[in-house]
Amino acid sequence: MNTSTEDLAEFRAEVRRWCREHVPADWRRAQTVAGDAEFVAFQQAWFQELRTGGYAVPHWPAEWGGGMPAAQQVVLYQELAAHDAPRLVLGFVSIHHAASTLLAAGTDEQRARHLPAILDGEIWVQGFSEPEAGSDLAGLRTTARREGDGFVVDGQKLWASGAAHADWCLLLARTDPAAPKRRGISYFLMDMRSPGLDVRPVRNAAGESHFCEIFLNGVVIPAENLVGPVNQGWQVAQATLSAERGMTMLELAERLGNAGFRWLVEACRGPAPGGGRLVDDPRVQDRLAELETEIAGLRALCLGLVERHEAGTAGPADASVVKLYYSELLQRTMDFAVEVAGLPAHTELRKPASSGWESGAWVLDFIGSWEWTIPGGTSEIQRTIIGERGLGLPREPVVPA
Amino acid sequence: MTAVLGAATSTDMNTELSDEAAEYGRTALRAFEAAGGDELVQAAEREPEKRAGLIEPLLDEIGAWELDPRAGGDELEAAAALCRAAGWWALPYPLAERLCRPADGSTAGLVLAAGTGAGVGTGPAPAAAVAGAGQRWSTVTLDGRRGVATARPLAEGPRYGAFVAELDPEPVATSTGTGTGTEDGTADGRADAALALVLPCWTLLGMLDRALDLTRAHVLARQQFGQPLARFQGVQFQLTDAEVERVGVEELAKFALWSVQAGHGDAVEDALALRHAALEAADLVFRVTHQLHGAMGFCDETTLSWISRYSQPVRRHPLSLSATRDHLTRRIGRAGLSGPFAGPAGAAGAAARAGAGSAAGSGEEGQPR
Repeated sequence: MNTSTEDLAEFRAEVRRWCREHVPADWRRAQTVAGDAEFVAFQQAWFQELRTGGYAVPHWPAEWGGGMPAAQQVVLYQELAAHDAPRLVLGFVSIHHAASTLLAAGTDEQRARHLPAILDGEIWVQGFSEPEAGSDLAGLRTTARREGDGFVVDGQKLWASGAAHADWCLLLARTDPAAPKRRGISYFLMDMRSPGLDVRPVRNAAGESHFCEIFLNGVVIPAENLVGPVNQGWQVAQATLSAERGMTMLELAERLGNAGFRWLVEACRGPAPGGGRLVDDPRVQDRLAELETEIAGLRALCLGLVERHEAGTAGPADASVVKLYYSELLQRTMDFAVEVAGLPAHTELRKPASSGWESGAWVLDFIGSWEWTIPGGTSEIQRTIIGERGLGLPREPVVPA
Repeated sequence: MTAVLGAATSTDMNTELSDEAAEYGRTALRAFEAAGGDELVQAAEREPEKRAGLIEPLLDEIGAWELDPRAGGDELEAAAALCRAAGWWALPYPLAERLCRPADGSTAGLVLAAGTGAGVGTGPAPAAAVAGAGQRWSTVTLDGRRGVATARPLAEGPRYGAFVAELDPEPVATSTGTGTGTEDGTADGRADAALALVLPCWTLLGMLDRALDLTRAHVLARQQFGQPLARFQGVQFQLTDAEVERVGVEELAKFALWSVQAGHGDAVEDALALRHAALEAADLVFRVTHQLHGAMGFCDETTLSWISRYSQPVRRHPLSLSATRDHLTRRIGRAGLSGPFAGPAGAAGAAARAGAGSAAGSGEEGQPR
């Protein structure tokens, strides 16, 4: 657990060496035209490459293959971004949400079954949102009825990103329709090959269909796949949602700082339409300085959150602060990038799969950034959490209809 | 605002659309609805080659081709109201461009060219959502230099390109022979530039109208936490901020239209100011309306997604936000805009730019607030 300056410098040199040897040279070109199967194969291969290097799940506990100190994780993510390494898009939910759920609330059997499997490439999807349960997640209507040794599930899930490729699903379903809504929900691990399950892609404005609908008709889940006690799934879900809001941000913040922002500055060094270079325009300089300051703030916030999380001192609204800060900053940065890139950027119609939220295909990155203020708790929900749990302000009054 | 505008009418400025023009706009709105409404843009995207055949008879039916925006008065106002109605339905047709076609019918319509000259190599090639609606298009620069350009065939389907075609400028005949069109533009040319800027903003205004209307309905209907989203003040305030932006654009759109109609010396600057405000408003309105629709707002199943996608060409061409701001600041320099509060039409700003050095709005009839 050495994190002295010299140790970190040595670690950085080691990661750099590894990146030079392992990051595929022309992955962007190949992934820009990649079909679904090639995307999946590439993601799986890259994940194994990282695993061999010891970099796939640095945030996991040491006994399961992680155990890297936060300061080293920062260095790792900085170097991966600076070497334009592909991102783990396909395994994102697996290594973050699924793992943190199992670690926090799973049984020993569940952990032993799934954590090694995730390292071998098992893919997970989150089955939380429903047509009538978005921000009001606790209002979900999918039911799980006890029957013999298992549960029978009926309902519909929406916005399940990557469901088409998933092996397993983190599922929330109502087990006690009579209980107050947060006390009647249970948390399940659902095998996506189960009979009665149908996945349909939903096409979005950017022309992709990475999010899906999942239809559940009499899907049987064995009782051993329940996570935590029956009817206490809401508490378990809080753990995974907070992982999405907070811990995953360390990598994203370093990506934004070391890849996205760096490319933006490079783009500004290019010729301006009226002659000269954009970066010589004082207004462009102002904006870049402003963005860099904000990105530095974001990176500090993320590191602080990870350290407090490890020390067990994170506050109840800390993760929300980070998510809100990142999502709105990403949108502002991409917005400026679109202005800088000008009209030709609008003719760039393909973004490489496996890239970060900022790929350099700025218009598509900008459109993509819009979704960030919606999933994993909208900005409105984050503000509510910061107000109520962080600042201790009263809840918004419910006005009688 | 109302009181101040009221004072300004003492200089014969009336920015309200005539009853006839407003009624014509309502008729057009109903006609587009009867012909399919939101289905029109979806049908055009499915079968792009049929879009002209889908829309043109409809425009014929409501007498759109008889309108001459250059005639001013009711006809210009009716053209603006028609563009706004087209925006409401994201009508998949370059209506503003087509309405400004030359009287002799030599080209399909008028497109503003972003470059400084009308000829080849004097700036970015013009581009507009004109694919499939005509071959040859008249062009005009902000300085009023005219030209003609030919639309290139589309490389991508409308799903991605939203019917935007690049236009190849033709060499322009000048008094000194065939050149690149670097002569100073005429007053008519400058009036055309103002017209070509203002009418598409009315289309965009119609899109903002619709985005807010759809979102208001959505937050009233969508229940979360046991009540409509509209009951949350955090939701209300976002929508009201967007509405304030939309109302501001509406007022500026009427003012810029009046400026074109009055042959105001600042008509191009007024039109650029309108475009600037409209683009900023569009950024906010679409961000808020998407946010309040949630993930569903990005899907083909919601009308907002279609309006938002088809608002892109008018927001990007011929000038995007920063380019509009750049042109506007260069043109008004330190003189500012005359705006609705100057003395006799256009005197202050135009005079200041001519070197009189007086601040804008300090004309002899400046109104106290």
